[in-house]
Amino acid sequence: MSGSMGAQVAAGSLENKGPKNKTKNARTVSFGDASAVRSIPAFSVIAFVVMMLFWWASTRVWGFDQAFADNFFAENPDVNQEKLLIAACNRSDECGEFSQFITPQQFPSIKDTWNAAGLLFTDGFQNTTIWEHAFTSLWRITRGMFFGSIVGIPVGMAMGLSSKVRGFFDTPVELFRPIPPLALIPLFIAIFGIGDAAAIPLLVFASLWIMTIAARAGMRNVQLSKVRAAYSLGATKRQVLTKVLIPNALPELFTGFRVALGVSWGTLVAAELVGTNIGLGTMIFQARNFTRLDVIVVGIAIIAILGVLMDVFMRILESILVPWQGKG
Amino acid sequence: MVYAVPKGEDVHALSNINFDLASGRLLTLLGPSGCGKTTLLNIIAGFLAPTGGQILLGDDPITGPGADRGMVFQQGALFEWQSVAKNISFGPRMAGVKSDVYGPEVDRLLDVVGLSGFGNQQVYELSGGMQQRVALARCLANDPNMMLMDEPLGALDALTREKMQGLILELWDRTKKTIIMVTHSVEEAILLGDIIFVMAPRPGRIEKVYELPFAKRALTEDTRAIKQDPEFVRIREEILSSIWEMEEEIMGREG
Repeated sequence: MSGSMGAQVAAGSLENKGPKNKTKNARTVSFGDASAVRSIPAFSVIAFVVMMLFWWASTRVWGFDQAFADNFFAENPDVNQEKLLIAACNRSDECGEFSQFITPQQFPSIKDTWNAAGLLFTDGFQNTTIWEHAFTSLWRITRGMFFGSIVGIPVGMAMGLSSKVRGFFDTPVELFRPIPPLALIPLFIAIFGIGDAAAIPLLVFASLWIMTIAARAGMRNVQLSKVRAAYSLGATKRQVLTKVLIPNALPELFTGFRVALGVSWGTLVAAELVGTNIGLGTMIFQARNFTRLDVIVVGIAIIAILGVLMDVFMRILESILVPWQGKG
Repeated sequence: MVYAVPKGEDVHALSNINFDLASGRLLTLLGPSGCGKTTLLNIIAGFLAPTGGQILLGDDPITGPGADRGMVFQQGALFEWQSVAKNISFGPRMAGVKSDVYGPEVDRLLDVVGLSGFGNQQVYELSGGMQQRVALARCLANDPNMMLMDEPLGALDALTREKMQGLILELWDRTKKTIIMVTHSVEEAILLGDIIFVMAPRPGRIEKVYELPFAKRALTEDTRAIKQDPEFVRIREEILSSIWEMEEEIMGREG
């Protein structure tokens, strides 16, 4: 290496600096390098704390005009706060004026929500505990996913394997897939009736097309050489299907399953609008009728937590059942 | 075996290809891209049907893929959901062979391809070279008449490739199987090819046939030394320049 453009390399060594559990990456370019980006747990904790602080602040600081309330009750010592709330809201035109310090009616505080949650777990709401509500909803989703899968997977597989089937089902799949399940509620009630009779078909509808498309993609994503290898090893068509195509489609099916679960979970609250008696969505709507925002918030939080747990569960299941995914 | 594959279509993928290949030979197919090497291999494997002519294996025409012609692909085409041993025993299992029969056979094949003790590993945990060893063992487990290889070493690094060339020669010598191998590497084709077809494109045809002694010599001699042999170097240069000319011609025609 000579001349002015030559490079002189005189590096001694390249080592990871710092303690072992906190190795510093020696890469000089990390912006845009996807492998250098990972989720730092401490920041996730910070985000949670920030959200909680925001909740606390919005109910305690901005939503609740403490000075105004203190002033008001100082000037009117004989006014009973509870009675005031009821009286004010009975005369609806005045409700607005007082609503400024009737915070639980706007958004429940952390403390109120916590207490409501405690009560929901022990006594329940409307004589039904949160366990029953959650279990009923989960069971509903399980049924929806089950029927969506046992219809969608074979249809999707057939679509991936046959041009005729593909052509035939492309029309309904492409037409029905973009319809939001919510839009179908009135129609489904008219057709199937109220309660689970309409809620289950709605949830089936939510997962059916996703599973169909996942199965179709699973069949189509097979490497031609794998199928050819199987045939030249003497496999029959049936063996190619059961020993090659289906196992090969498992990762895609799993992905479809996870997406379908997410969408079903999202459809759940709407599905429980159709006249069901128990369920997390039902509980939320019943609570609305009683203006129990604390119960609503607890219901939403339970839906969020269960959704996250199910996704984690599916990921664990995926890593056990299809460990080769992303490593082929 | 008789091959006669004229294609009478607008695009002649292959035209006027006639040859006999005696059992136990190692044929390498070489040529510029688009000359139909892989098409020819796929026709022999039974994945494609020729639009004209016929291919006989022994006395029987080839009508589709079968266990008598094993195939090794560039990227292993292994089944990731199965262990190494299960991959190797795939053919026998599909044929309904019992595990106490194929079990010892799998162990023997693992030994033959240099993977003893790897039976319970998952294939996605293996390196590219090891995956190709599994693919070779899987192919051999069916005891086919012929092994068809489509660029089996194309995706490997240079050193692994050299080792695997040795393995293929060893297997060829040991099993006496007929092997047809497509390769892009002129050196590989000359070293491994007991017979070489240098193919030309548009229409795909056999331009020149070489019968070479290097494959047999490589069984006993050092392969690096063979590659330095003046005769080896001369043939390599001859084939390289003929392929170079073909590529130039294609470029000229397209430009």
